[in-house]
Amino acid sequence: MADLFSNLALGFGVALTPINLLLCLVGALVGTLVGVLPGIGTIATVAMLLPITFGLPPVGALIMLAGIYYGAQYGGSTTSILVNIPGEAGSVVTALDGFQMAKQGRAGPALAIAAIGSFFAGCVATVLIAVLGAPLTKLALAFGPAEYFSLMVLGLIFAVVLAKGSVLKAIAMIVFGLLLSMVGSDIETGASRMAFNIPELADGLGFATVAMGLFGFAEIIRNLDAGSESDRELVQQKVTGLMPTAKDLRDSAPAIMRGTVLGSILGILPGGGAVIASFAAYTLEKKISKHPERFGRGAIQGVAAPESANNAAAQTSFIPLLTLGIPPNAVMALMVGAMTIHGIVPGPQVMQKQPELVWGMIASMWVGNLMLLVINLPLVGIWVRLLRVPYRLMFPCIVIFCAIGIYSVNNAPVDVVLAGAFGLVGYWLIKHDFEPAPLLLGMVLGPLMEENLRRALLISRGDWSVFLTRPLSAVLMAIAAFLLVLAILPSLRKKRDEVFVESEN
Amino acid sequence: MSDTPSHAPVKSVRSSRIRGPQDFVGGLALVAIALFALWASSDLQGMRGFSFGAGTAPRMFAFLLLFLGAAVSLIGLLTDGPGLSTFHWRGPFFVSVAILAFAVAIRPLGLVITAFACFLIAALGTPETRWKETMIVGACLTLGCSLLFPYALGLPLQMFPRFMIQ
Repeated sequence: MADLFSNLALGFGVALTPINLLLCLVGALVGTLVGVLPGIGTIATVAMLLPITFGLPPVGALIMLAGIYYGAQYGGSTTSILVNIPGEAGSVVTALDGFQMAKQGRAGPALAIAAIGSFFAGCVATVLIAVLGAPLTKLALAFGPAEYFSLMVLGLIFAVVLAKGSVLKAIAMIVFGLLLSMVGSDIETGASRMAFNIPELADGLGFATVAMGLFGFAEIIRNLDAGSESDRELVQQKVTGLMPTAKDLRDSAPAIMRGTVLGSILGILPGGGAVIASFAAYTLEKKISKHPERFGRGAIQGVAAPESANNAAAQTSFIPLLTLGIPPNAVMALMVGAMTIHGIVPGPQVMQKQPELVWGMIASMWVGNLMLLVINLPLVGIWVRLLRVPYRLMFPCIVIFCAIGIYSVNNAPVDVVLAGAFGLVGYWLIKHDFEPAPLLLGMVLGPLMEENLRRALLISRGDWSVFLTRPLSAVLMAIAAFLLVLAILPSLRKKRDEVFVESEN
Repeated sequence: MSDTPSHAPVKSVRSSRIRGPQDFVGGLALVAIALFALWASSDLQGMRGFSFGAGTAPRMFAFLLLFLGAAVSLIGLLTDGPGLSTFHWRGPFFVSVAILAFAVAIRPLGLVITAFACFLIAALGTPETRWKETMIVGACLTLGCSLLFPYALGLPLQMFPRFMIQ
């Protein structure tokens, strides 16, 4: 317990320095700014803004990125409440009731309750990270290569089970990502693999490049298809009366609690993250509500629960990243990319060797959430004005901004071309109903998996049964197998689909 | 499809149709990628005793993708699924051209000219573009980026064409 407080004190010491406070504020603001733009999801926002943090020292860069992340998420919910175009999958459910509230002239309370719920969830999640961080790190240090490999398999299977759509196609995307991660030099022998003598490929496909292509450019191209102007239905009334009434607060308090608990749990699970958390929280609220018929017609619980859940999950998903070094979802995969660029290899060692980095980031999350609460409500008017910018003007800006961003990573024009190519690949994947997020996760985990698989087999002298004979590894593998079977079983598939169909009725 | 001859015509019509073209084509493309990766990694060393060579993991993942792609495609062949969605050419084409142009021009021409020109190319991607406002926004964006990236973020970017600096 004393440890916990000294750790948090260390963290706040780092987070509350003026420069880090400023970076946190800028990150949250810029994240919200980009996240508000319709059609740009959290992953795309983080990918787009990744290059602007490169020039900073590691702690500052991570604090700013974390700020961008939850800023983007908050921006996404603003968009879904006001325009009914959720910027990202996570805020789809928020749009259901949030937009209805906005139509009834209650956009203010909807936005306020989303912010309050997010803040509460953020506080709880920050404490949870601090509490779970140290013991999980101890556990992680007991992990050998076999356990690590099994854990990553489990994580990928989780990602598949919780993703929507076909299980088979999601696995195929993960393997595609694993394969892409093989490009570049082999860690052990230094042999150049599938690089075709292109010098820029010698170090492998840049992570930021692929992410920007798959999520930035591909989204732009796809949005152009949709006929951008037609389906925008902006709430035209002025947003007045921000403060929710006492009744609103009473109604939503239990929903915020339940959403926070559910989100925190789902966030820790590998593959979970914000999307599934908000769906699950909405479904739960609707199930236990005395008036389920009010959902979809502007029930404030329908805004409060998913918003708290997705913020809680967004933060607790840092736990596996910081303690085990394994990114549980695509955004965390981007964080790994950012850490690697700063020469930090995420994992239990970071927690021990650079405590000021980890705890500083954790403390800054709480600070960032407070900032979001304080800055966003007064700034709603600006966000609304931003939403009126037509897409025909917005998309060339994003294209250029992304292009400069990628170019500035290595000053390499080839990276820009590669990102463009991955943009087309991403567009094609979307058109064939393949999800790009598992691909990104596979790509980050690829080298880690290969390394641990190699080491495990070297230690066991080529005996593959090592994954089943070491108890911890066997348990992880068993859970993975069990989940996979469940996901393929028809009865569960139906239930799983129901959760995702919820958004459409 | 070699049941009774009387049923043959009906059945052949049915079986000649691919029931889920979206998955069928998608799976095939993955198979093609896997085959390409197998070919590209064929010169790498495989297992030596029980230690992995450079080519072991890539080939392992490629075979896995081959198998999964084939399965996706088989399911597309045998079960009903969505058809191919329509691809539009205008958006992807002009956005790609803008990105390519950026990559080619950024070194010799510098940020200011490249950003503005590529902005205009990208804007061709939608028929809704109105040129007057596009010009103004493009100029503002160029100005903003040339202040943000080199000065605010301290990234070393060349601003103007090489011949103008010399």
